[in-house]
Formats: sequence, C-alpha cells, structure tokens
Amino acid sequence: MLRHVKTGFLYAALLVWLIAVVVPLVWVVVNSLRTSQEFVKNPFGMPWVLAGNANELPVTDTESAWESVKNNYTKAWIESRFQRYFFNSILVTSISLLGIIGFGAMASYVLARFRFLGNRALYLYFITGLMVPAQLVLVPLFFQFTYLSHAGSALLAPLGLQVELHDTYTGLILIYIALSLPFTILVLTGFFRSLPGALREAGIIDGCSEFGVFRHIMMPLAKPGLVSAAIFNFIGLWNEYLLALVFVNSDAHKTLPLGLAAVSMQAQYKADFGLMFAGLVIVLAPTLAVYVVLQKQLTRGITVGALKG
Amino acid sequence: MNTSLRLLPVLILAITLCGCDAISHRADADSNVRVVEAAFFEGGYGIHWHQKIAEEYSRAHKDEGVVVELWGDPRMRDKVKPRILRGDPPDVMLDQYLPIWKMIAAGKLLPFNDVLDQPVNDSGELWRDQFIPGTLDSFTSDGKCYGIPTSFGAWGCWYDAKLFREHGWTPPATWSEFTAVCAEIKAAGIAPLAFQGKYPYYAWYSYISVAQRCGGLPLINRMNALEPGAFSHPDAIAAAKLWQDLVRDYFQPGYEAMNHLESQLEFVNNKAAMIFCGVWLFNEMKESTPPDFEMRVFNVPAVEGGKGNPKLFNGLGMEQMLVTSDGRYPEDAMDFARYMISMQNGADMASSIGVISPLKGGCPRETVGPPLQSVLDMIDAAPGVFNVRLYDLLLEWREQVAHIALASLMQGDITPEEFGRQLDEGLVRAQQDPDVIIPPFTPYDPASLGETP
Amino acid sequence: MKRSREQTVFMITFLAPAFLLFTVFVAMPGIRAFAYSFEKWDGLSAPKWVGLDNFAALLRDRDVFAAALWHNIVLTVGAGLLIVVLSLLFASALHRRVRGAALFRVTFFFPNVISSVAIALLWVLLYSTTDFGVINSLLGWLKYEDFGRLNGAMDVARGWTGLANLELPFPFTGKPYLIYSLIPIIVWASTGFYMVLFLAAMEGIPESYYEAATLDGASEISQFWHITLPLIREVLTVGLVFLVIGCLKIFDMVWIMDNEWPTKETHVLATLMYQKVFSEYNIGYGAAVAVLMFIVVFMASMFTLRLSRKEALEY
Repeated sequence: MLRHVKTGFLYAALLVWLIAVVVPLVWVVVNSLRTSQEFVKNPFGMPWVLAGNANELPVTDTESAWESVKNNYTKAWIESRFQRYFFNSILVTSISLLGIIGFGAMASYVLARFRFLGNRALYLYFITGLMVPAQLVLVPLFFQFTYLSHAGSALLAPLGLQVELHDTYTGLILIYIALSLPFTILVLTGFFRSLPGALREAGIIDGCSEFGVFRHIMMPLAKPGLVSAAIFNFIGLWNEYLLALVFVNSDAHKTLPLGLAAVSMQAQYKADFGLMFAGLVIVLAPTLAVYVVLQKQLTRGITVGALKG
Repeated sequence: MNTSLRLLPVLILAITLCGCDAISHRADADSNVRVVEAAFFEGGYGIHWHQKIAEEYSRAHKDEGVVVELWGDPRMRDKVKPRILRGDPPDVMLDQYLPIWKMIAAGKLLPFNDVLDQPVNDSGELWRDQFIPGTLDSFTSDGKCYGIPTSFGAWGCWYDAKLFREHGWTPPATWSEFTAVCAEIKAAGIAPLAFQGKYPYYAWYSYISVAQRCGGLPLINRMNALEPGAFSHPDAIAAAKLWQDLVRDYFQPGYEAMNHLESQLEFVNNKAAMIFCGVWLFNEMKESTPPDFEMRVFNVPAVEGGKGNPKLFNGLGMEQMLVTSDGRYPEDAMDFARYMISMQNGADMASSIGVISPLKGGCPRETVGPPLQSVLDMIDAAPGVFNVRLYDLLLEWREQVAHIALASLMQGDITPEEFGRQLDEGLVRAQQDPDVIIPPFTPYDPASLGETP
Repeated sequence: MKRSREQTVFMITFLAPAFLLFTVFVAMPGIRAFAYSFEKWDGLSAPKWVGLDNFAALLRDRDVFAAALWHNIVLTVGAGLLIVVLSLLFASALHRRVRGAALFRVTFFFPNVISSVAIALLWVLLYSTTDFGVINSLLGWLKYEDFGRLNGAMDVARGWTGLANLELPFPFTGKPYLIYSLIPIIVWASTGFYMVLFLAAMEGIPESYYEAATLDGASEISQFWHITLPLIREVLTVGLVFLVIGCLKIFDMVWIMDNEWPTKETHVLATLMYQKVFSEYNIGYGAAVAVLMFIVVFMASMFTLRLSRKEALEY
C-alpha cells in the first residue's frame, strides 16, 4: 500500500512538472497563431483558424484571419528583422565554437600530455578564469577595446586600413572565445589525461609528427569530450545577453537575445502580442528542435562533462 | 602530415574571415557626402514621422551633400551609452534619460546658442523666442542651452468621457470631488485608477503636481532651489499624504506589477476609469484604443485649502535633441534640429503623431482630434507651467533616493514624513558630490502665474 | 626524455593562441578591474585616483549594495535548495526507470536550451496581473471555484497556503515581490539540467550495489541515502558550484523583468554594476561592485568545494 502511495506521489510530481514545463511553451505557440485582439479577449482560447469557432472572432472572414496570423510571423521575421538576428547568432556562435574547441583542444592536449616547467601553473592560470564572472572583465574590456582599436588603426594606417573592435562580430567572437576557454580547458584537459599515453609514443614511433598524433590519434579519441564541450558552449553562447548588450550597439550586429528584447519593447508599445509571441517562437523553436534532434549527444555530453570534468 | 593540416587552415580561415569585420578601409575624408547620424528614442510617438522629416531634410540639402540617417529604438539608450563612452556617438541624439549633465560637464555636448539666436523667418523672429517659455530650461546651464525639446509635455489625469457619461460621473475639479468620484467608480465595480507601477517615473510627476496644488509655486521654488527641508515642508507632506491615501484606496489591485503598456491597456479597455499620464498617452495607445473610447484629460484637481493655482500644470520641454561634440557634423546636426522643430512642421507633427510642439502656437487646434483638444483646453486655460528640475538634474538621487522613497510611500511602508525626510537627506548628500552640477535657478513668480500669497 | 626542437615548437604553437586570448581578454581586464575600483572616472574625462573611496561609497549606499547582495543570496539559497531537492527527486525517479522516463528526461530539459531573455518575457506574461495573466487566473480559479464535495478540503488547503487571504491579482512582478518571483522561474529553468547531470552520475553506479542492498532489505529511501547520494557526491559538488556561480551572476532576468530600470528593491549585483557604469557613468563605483562580486563568487565557490570535501572525510 505504502509503496503504491509513494509511486503515485512520484508520478504526480513528475506529471505536474511535465505540465509546468510543456504547457507554457504550447501556450506561446498557440498564441502566436492568434491575433492580439483574440489574445486580449481570451488568453486561453484556441487559435480560431484551427478551432473555427466564431464567437471570439475579431474578423468576419477566414481570409483576413489567416492574413493576421501570417502577419505575426512576417512582421517578426521581416519588419522586426529577426532574419538578420538569426544570421548573426549563427555566425557568431559557430565561429566562436570553432575557436573555442580548436584553441581549447590544442592547449588542453599540451597541458594534459606534456611535462614541462610551469605546466601546473599555466593550468591553474586558465582554471582561475572559471571564477571570473563576465561582469568583472566587462568594464575594463570595454575600454581596452577602444585602446586596441586605436592602436591597431595607428599600426595599419599606412595601409589605409582601420581597426574597430566595438560593435563588430570580431570583437564579440574574441570575447566569447576567451571567456569560454577556462571551462573548455578544464573539461578537455581531464579528457585528454584519461586517454592512454602509450598511444602517443606508438604514433611517434610509427613516424607521425606531434601534430599528426594530435590530429589522427588524439582528436578522434577525444570526440565525445569535444562534442560535450561544444554543446555546453553552444547553449551558453546562443543565449548570451549581457556581453552582447554591451559590445553590440547596432541593429546590423545584434544577436537573437538582443533582438528579442528589442522586439518585446516594440510589441509593447504597439500592444502587439501576436508579434511578441511570434518572436518568442522564432527564438525558441530552433534551439528546441536542435535539442530534440541532438538530445542523445547532449545527454551523453553532460554525462562525459560531469564525470570527466 | 600534409593532409593532416586540414583542421588548422579551416580555423585560421574562419577567424580571419570574421577578422575582416574589424578591419576596414578608412572612410574617405574628403568625401562629398556628409552623413549625419541621428539616434532617437522610440517611445509613444513612434519614429516614422521623424524619419519622414529626416528624408525631407536630406532631399532639400542634396546639393550640399548632407544626408540625415535617422534610426529609432525603444532601447536606444542601451546602444548609445556605450558609444558615447568610446567616443563614437551619433551626431544627434534624442533621449532625456542619458546622463546628460555628466556629458555637459565633460564637454561632450554642444550648446545650441548660436542657432537659437538666429532669426528663423522674414520678420526676424529668433528661434529661441518661438519656444513656449520654460521649455528650454531643462538642460540649460550658464545661459547655454544643450537640449532642444521636440515635444511639450503636459501632465494630467485621463478618463473616458463616454464611460463617465454613461454612469453620470463628471471630471472632478477638486480633490474631494476626485475622491468622491473614485468611490462611485469603485462601487460600480471598476478600478478607479490604473497606474504604471513598474516605473516610479509616473509617480514623480503625479506627486509634484499634487505638491503644487498644496503648497503653490513657493513650494515648487523651494524644491528647485534644493532648499534644505523642502520636501519636509508641511505642504509637501500634505501632498505625499494625499497621494498615499489615493494609492491605498483607489488604485487598481496589482498596479505594482504593471508597466506603462499593461496599465494603459487596462485604461483603454475600461477596466480602470482614469490614469495619470503625460500628453503622449493618446498616441501611444492609438492602435489599441477602441473606436468608441473618448479619451479626454482633466487637470490635476485643486486641493481644498491648498495654495496653488489649480489652472497651472506640470509642463516641460521633453524628448530633447542633443548634439555631441564627438560627432562628425555638429553644424549640420543643429541645422537639422532647427528644421525639425519649426512652425511649419508643428501642425504636421500634431496631426500625424499627436505631439504638441514646444513652439508657441505650434499646434493649431484644428489639426488635432478631441483628445488632444482637451489637452489644448488645459494649456489655454493655464497662465503658465511649472516643473521640478531635480528629476533630470540629479541622476543618482533619482535612482537611489527618489524612486525608492516614492515606491515605499505608495506601498504604505513609510509615512509621508519619512518620505520627505528621505528625499531631503538625499538632496543634502547629492550636493556634497563635487561632480554634480547645479545651475542657478530662476524661481517662478507666483503673482504672474495667478497665485496670491 | 630529451625534448626535440620540433616538440618545443609544437607545444608553444599549441599553447599560444589560448594563452594570448585568455591573457588579453580575460586576465588583463580582470586585473584592470581592480585598478578601476580605486579610481573615480566618468569615462569621459580624465580618471582620478581616489583610493578606497568607491568602497566607502558602497558602504555609504549600503542600503542599495546590501539589498543587491541580499537578493543574490536569496536567489542562491532559495532557488538552489529547491533545484537540488527537485532534481535529485526526479533523477532518482528516472533512475529507477519509471514508465515514460525518456519522455520526462527529454522534456524536463527544454527550458535549459531557451534563452533567459525569452524565459523572462514568457514569465512576464504568465505573471501578468491583467486578464491574460495565466498564474493569477489559476490562483483565482483555485480560490473561488466550486469544487463540490471537495470544497471542505479545498478550504483547508486555501487557509493553509494563505490563498484565502491573498488579494488577487497578485502583483508578482511588482518591485517588492520581483526577486521572490524569480525563484520559481530559475527553478523552472534549471531543474532539468541538474536532473540530467545527477541522473548521468547515478547511471554510473553499478546495479549490483542496489541488488545487494535490496537483498539486505534496505528500503529505497535508505538506498538513496546510503548508496546513491555518497556515490554521486563529486558530481553533486560540481553541480552546487555551478548553481552558486549561476545565481550570483544573474542579470538578464532581472534586467528584462524590471523593464531595464531596477531600483533598490530589485537590484542584484550585476544589474547594480551595469547601471552604475552604463547608466550613471560612474565607472569606479561599478568596478568596485564588480570586484566585490568576484570576491563573493570566489568565496562561495571555495566554500562549497570545502564543505563537500569535509563531508567526504566524514563519510
């Protein structure tokens, strides 16, 4: 009897949580298919294009209702420039990931597999970075960007070139890479250490160069670790807001979180809930889709990250 | 080994490709086109009208090669503040909540005096003289005016004339009528007052309006002059008490969590009968206001036994345009500002976006609908306006003292006396900060504004 | 082993990019932040060395600073506890292979892949006090709905939870309540991650331990305390450190939910720092906040690590 109660309680808790997680997301999707007027009138109604009930109809013919629903998405995608933010997010995140994983793996490999004076100190130097909140470096980094841009411009002036790190993809990407390195190095160093060292010697004896060993033996073996680090960094960077808020100042370079924040304001000023929900869906849908597709790798990534890190 | 190098080139290529973004060709200095960048806060008035004006201006100045590129954003502040810090600001900015006084002190803003003192029409009238008195004061220091207002802000209480008619209520003229009508509205099952509780901003202007009703212009003068104890004056305390009681008894439940949009939606949907707001309310809510909603304004009611002239209202020049010294084309920027705020554009501005021009007679009555006509009625009936400049002048006092005290007062956490004490003590502290600029203040003359001592 | 020239070149080229990037964009600014905190600077004119003035100013404005710090602590402890309890509960439930475990595991993780800005905006709508506020509608339903025969039980529940006296709609995102209203959001958003993390650790425990315990007649609860918990201790510690750091660094949600204009009632350290630097151009003050924030994060992480190490010894 007690056992049944316990199991029942467990299922109830799981189900409540399931509802709490899923229902709000469904609510967002459903309301993105409704007009603002429909939403204000009844926030829990079905989109009438699906339900077809006429009593909460703000418009009289099906055609214009469809129009207003499509309108939500067209407005978000084109007028509110989500297509641009989307592109920016993909660009910034993917290049940052390349840099993080590439540089992180290179450094981690050397730190894990080579003995040299200062190895431990260098490792700790990187790891201390884990304790540094982005907020600490934010302000000095902001002014440092100005100095670096001026210095770079002075250097390249003879070539008729100038350097600007503020409000560029480059600036944001450099910061993202640098701030993600400590975590990545922590995870990957642990991972490379766990690989058998004899492999390297065998590779060298077979005539491989150090780079060859790294590329052909170590990297394939480290793949689970690399994937786990990449996924962690992907989620973090895709959704990053504070640094982008400070280092991106123009619409042309905005990433999705910034774009969503801006659109929410515009939507508020125009009382346009349809636009707001459509914007939310555009931001939610890709990460959710990627997650559902890659969830096995991601879960494995967490497993690896947790056990090796 | 050769084939194994595949990874590295990809990496390097990617990083270099994005590096191209940071390295660019130096802009040609002797280019024939001067692009003036204008960054505008996109609030209740939208941005389309301003962009139209920028296009008109660029068309008219095509021969000189001047192009005004005007963009707007509700989060314009977030974009522009870092740019000011890194010395690359837009040429013209419109936002009254930038740290304007700090920028003035650091010489980052240019005064408009030369442009203001030039004639703007055949009769030789100076631009300066066209402004409604007082509207240029907000950002004037040592006789130098650093901000040109683009709108005239008038503070009042809004209601739906249709709703009032149906229930037989009338807009109140005195505070006891006000509370009486509030009680009737409450009894009818409607919230008497909606409020933008997320922003203490709205509470400040409402409180100042009530303070003038209680203590008259002498009290307002004391506040503006940062006189010790100004907010603890019995009249100021009385105003705080009235405001606190009003909040407690008649504000819509849950108002604390509502931002401007949510509360104003409650108002236009008749879930709340009245709301304190500035003149932009009409345009801000235009798209969500039902067609049969008759939005009208009445002046903040007179307080029985109060010393203030109830025809006056809290009014000021708002949404100032600023020209930065780090910008590239300050002269063109100022010329553009003068074009935008001109008599010929006033009527268009009023009819398109419901802005009341800061110029005298800049908003002809026939160009606006009944809601703004009710604002013009209020303006025409008033011999003048008043304002308390501390809100724009002392940023830290506003953020750390005034906002907190106002919120506590409204929640009933502190007494009106404690409220006054907190504001006064904050003012003393603010004046000790050597970086704070406090320009001299010309007091309002109660006699000429219809107040008898 | 003698090191060849090639090897040395290899090591240097492999370490250099990470070292340079980290030094220039993290370490140097990190050290600079300490220097800034001793200066008075508006970012526009020349900076002035003022020694400890900024920290003194923090003490002087202690209401604001202490409030921000306190809010961080409330979030860390409040949300942290709930997250740990819930995620351990769910993880051990899934670990014992309840029906539909895969579905729960996948869906519970959903909020973690969503941007915090989107989460904040979503919850602003859910918390709204207007007619479309879902949570207030739900509370209203629980408070006033006629549940027929269950009414007696509902009344007890209403009284016990305080719902009976709660004035609806409740202003969840109003300034006095905003910080507390953030706790459910953080729990909603993060529990899935920690559940998956702990579950991963639990799955590393050999099944034979449980079989042996079952044979000895140990209840499931005692198995949890005596097998599961000690064996996932390391991962639990890592999770706790993540949690503490995450809650201390929180910015996005407060910033968005308080309409970019936080005050003393809603500030956390990160918003206070941002506002000081970028809204008030008081860079030294902002840097002082950031430095203190670093110290708090550092100490909290060390404390958590130390605490768990002690437990290890006791075990």
